[in-house]
Order: sequence, then C-alpha cells, then structure tokens
Amino acid sequence: MTAALETLGLTKVYRGRRVLDGVDLSVAEGSVFGFLGPNGAGKTTTLRLVTGLARPTSGAVRVLGQDVSTAGNAVRAQMGFLPDVPAFYPWMTATEFMHFSGTLFGLERRVLTQRTRMLLDTAGLGGVQARIGGYSRGMRQRLGIAQALINAPRLLLLDEPTSALDPIGRKDVLELIGSLRGRTTIFFSTHILGDVERVCDSVAILDRGRVLTQAPIHELKARYRRHRIVMEVTEGADRLAVAIAERPWAVAVASSDTGTIEVTATDMVSAQRDLPGLVAAQRAGLVRLEAGEMGLEEVFVDLVGRDNP
Amino acid sequence: MRAHLMLARKEVLEILRTWRICVLPSIMLLFAVTGPVLARYTPQFLGAVGGSPFASLQLPEPTVFDSYGQWIKNLSQIVIFAQIIMYGGIISSERRSGTAVLVLTKPVSRTGFVVVKAVVHAMYLAVLLVAGTLATWCLTAVVFGQAPGGALWSSALLWLVTVVTYLCLMTLFSSVIPSAAGAAGLGLGAFTLISIAAIWEPAREYSPAGLPGVAASLAAGVDVEVPFWPVMSSFVVCIGAVGLAVAVFRRKEL
Repeated sequence: MTAALETLGLTKVYRGRRVLDGVDLSVAEGSVFGFLGPNGAGKTTTLRLVTGLARPTSGAVRVLGQDVSTAGNAVRAQMGFLPDVPAFYPWMTATEFMHFSGTLFGLERRVLTQRTRMLLDTAGLGGVQARIGGYSRGMRQRLGIAQALINAPRLLLLDEPTSALDPIGRKDVLELIGSLRGRTTIFFSTHILGDVERVCDSVAILDRGRVLTQAPIHELKARYRRHRIVMEVTEGADRLAVAIAERPWAVAVASSDTGTIEVTATDMVSAQRDLPGLVAAQRAGLVRLEAGEMGLEEVFVDLVGRDNP
Repeated sequence: MRAHLMLARKEVLEILRTWRICVLPSIMLLFAVTGPVLARYTPQFLGAVGGSPFASLQLPEPTVFDSYGQWIKNLSQIVIFAQIIMYGGIISSERRSGTAVLVLTKPVSRTGFVVVKAVVHAMYLAVLLVAGTLATWCLTAVVFGQAPGGALWSSALLWLVTVVTYLCLMTLFSSVIPSAAGAAGLGLGAFTLISIAAIWEPAREYSPAGLPGVAASLAAGVDVEVPFWPVMSSFVVCIGAVGLAVAVFRRKEL
C-alpha cells in the first residue's frame, strides 16, 4: 500500500530546543492513523510542518507523493486540516465560511451548496444562522471539522479533533471519522487513548519529539502483550505480593493497605496455575480475582513512562 | 483567480461588518461636513464671541480655497494618523488570531493573501476619499455659492497617492512586527520622519515627502507643477513595501 503521508528524519529546532527529533512516519493511504502523545510531545508541530505552516530544520515531508516544501497549492488542494483551536472570522456565519473555504478550493457553486448543507447537517450546525462569534468552543470544533471536509480531501489532518467536544459530540465525530475509512486517509493527533483505540487502524506514539513506536494497533498490542491481574485477599497482602514477585511471569507487583494486589504478568496460563497455590500458602482468603489484557492505555503509559524515568 | 476574488470579497465584507466601517468613514465625514461651514463662518464665530481678543481681528474674507485647504489639512494629519493606527494589524491580526491558518492551509498563496489585502484597502481608501471630497465639494458650493472642482480633486488625488503609500508601508510593518501596536508605532515614526524630511528640499522634490505640501498648495488655489518625482517615488515605495511584505510573510511560520 502506498503512503499518503511520509516524514523522513523530520527535525524542528526552536530557539535551541529540539521539538522534533528525526521523526519518521509512514501513513498508509486510506487508513485512520492515530498520532498519540502527551502534551508538549510535538504533535502540533508535526502537523504544522505537514501543512507547510512551518518549515523543518531538517528532514522532509511527502504528502500524496509530493514534497510539501515545493508542491505548494497542488498538495494543499488535496488536504483538509483542522487545527487544535480553529479560529474563524467571527462576523461570518457557518454557511458563509463553508462557501468561503470551498471557493478557495475552486469548487463549483452547485457542488459547494450541496456539500455545505450536507456537512453542516452532519456537524449538527444545519439551520444555525448565528454568526460564528457567538458559537461555543464545541460548535467551532464541529464547524472546523466540516470545513476540513469541504473539498472531499484525500488526506484529512485533524489536530485534537475531539478535545473540545461533549461525549455525544465526541461519539459523532469518531463515527464520522470511522465512516471515512477507506475513502480518505485520516491522520489525527490526540492524547485521548480511547479515541485511538476505537477508530484507528495504526498508531504512532510520540514523546519529547521522538517516535517511540509505530505499528498497527493489533500488532502493537501483541508486541507489548501483557496481562493485568487484580486480586483482593483477606489478609497478608504484602507477604503474598512478595511471593508473587518471585515468580518468573510477574513483571510488576503492587499491593495496597486495603488488601488489593495488582500484578502485571507475561504468561497468563502460568499465573492462573500458580496464584491459587500462593494464596493458600499464605493462608489468605481470596475475595476477588480479575484478569484482562492490557489496553493501548497501558501500552502508552508503559512506553512513555519508561522513556521518562 | 477565483480564490483571489473570494479573498477580496472577504476583505470587503470584513470592512462592512466590523468596526472598520465606522472609524475612518466617521472621521472623514465629520471633516467633510464641518470643513466648509467652519471655513465660511469662522470670522463670524470669532467676532460673535463678546469681549474676546479675537473680536478686534480683521480676518480676510474666506474663499472656497479655505474650505478645500481645511479638508486637505485634516486628511494629511488626523486621517493619516488614524489610518496608521487602524492598519497596524492588517496582516498580523490574522496571524495572531489564527484565522490565517485556516486560509493558508487551502490552495491560497501567501503572496495573494498579502497583495489582496493591500489592493482592497487601497480601494476602500479611494472610495472614502471620493465620498468625502464629494461631500466637501457639494457643501462648499452650498455655503460659498460656487465650488470650482479642479483644485479640490487634484489635491485629493495627490492625497490618495500619499495615503496609499502609508497603507503599503503599514502592510510591510504589519508583516514584520507581530503586534498591531508595535507596527502602528513604527508607522507613526515613519510618518514623523517623512513629515520632517519635507523640510529638506531634495526630499521634497524627489520623494513622497513632497506630496502633502503640493496637495495643500493645489487646494489653496496655487498653480503648481505636477509633482512627477514625488508621485513616481511613491509608486516605487508602494511596490517595494508590498513586495518586501510578501517576502517577509512567505518566510513567517504560522
């Protein structure tokens, strides 16, 4: 599959500070790509470089096979972009802004009118006649998504698209993103892991300007496969935790005063076989035992936490 | 081309729907309406102030050229002053507010973004000038009973060249300096320097600094030659300033 977006050794230095450090990314055409990272990791800077709003210190960005630094309008004509805090002309209405955006893309009036109506309805702004200056943050965010789709882009870049939305708005946006899968390549940055897990095919985790990992989500989970076991015992939790920690399958063990023990295990079968014996050996009563596979959140915390001692 | 026309339309709508439609038109309308009346009746006003030291002054009979002179003097000082402050953010305000990001991530060149702003606002100033000069002309005819047009319109035309030159300079300053207040401060500094430079004859003869003086002379009914070099140098400054503004803005990171 060809790459809709590629960055090669992308580096950005601001006033002596290395904000991005040799970022290599490859986003397959038609995929939904999650760009994860804690605040200040360099996600917005990456998007500014991809859109041509800023220039890299070194490295290159290729969008749909063209170099962003030289292609200019040819690339921008095929992109849709939502910034993290979209700013509009407050004296315009949503319809006027959509017409303004569409005309900049050279859309015919008939197509523009149809798309404007359809996109504003989808964004929940159909029939809203008020000027944008009176919109809430959530309404602006939804208008931002609508305007990013006005040209039916081949590559849609979204910077924290759900951050200002209420739960229903967030669900709608995620469903919209999911519905575009296969038709448009979507690259969205976020720090909300649940959103990525829900709609993305692939993910890259960025921390302090460096890509820690990039892979399809299922592959990432398999690569960092861990199981989390939470158990609660009637007494002797500390002694039991020490005993569990000695087992080869136990990666991390933590106990609390309330008798709860959290175990991260590499081999669930061995853990299931050993744990009842360990509890019995400590003459403790088992109150609760829960086990499950670690999600993306744990993978993220594990990776970022490991990188930030 | 269609994109540039849309950008121009946006600029026009922005003028019509925001504070921009109030500030300069109000100031210019005030001067256009009060200028002829003040020029015609100032001697009477002064004479009517009982016990005033002005009562004994023998002022010459006012003419239409006093009315025209009043209009051009106000334009050359207060209106240019207001214009400089108003256009301090012509480029930087869009950069600071973030609206430029949504425009410039679409197929719009940064060159077009800057040039369209300069052109539309130059046209806006021209429209305001025509409206204000027309108002002054008509009121002068009413108040004085006559109003020859040549002196007024030729001086107004020279003033337009001056004000467009300041607009282009403000476009440059606003591209360079991110703060509207900072750019306005630089603009006022340039205005002061250009005004002072007019004292020096070579600057008056060959640079834009000579235009306000010639405009004032024309408005006063004095027969003066067409100021070829000040006009030409103003055009050069305009093209140079906008060209430099484009070059600076193309390098800016948004």
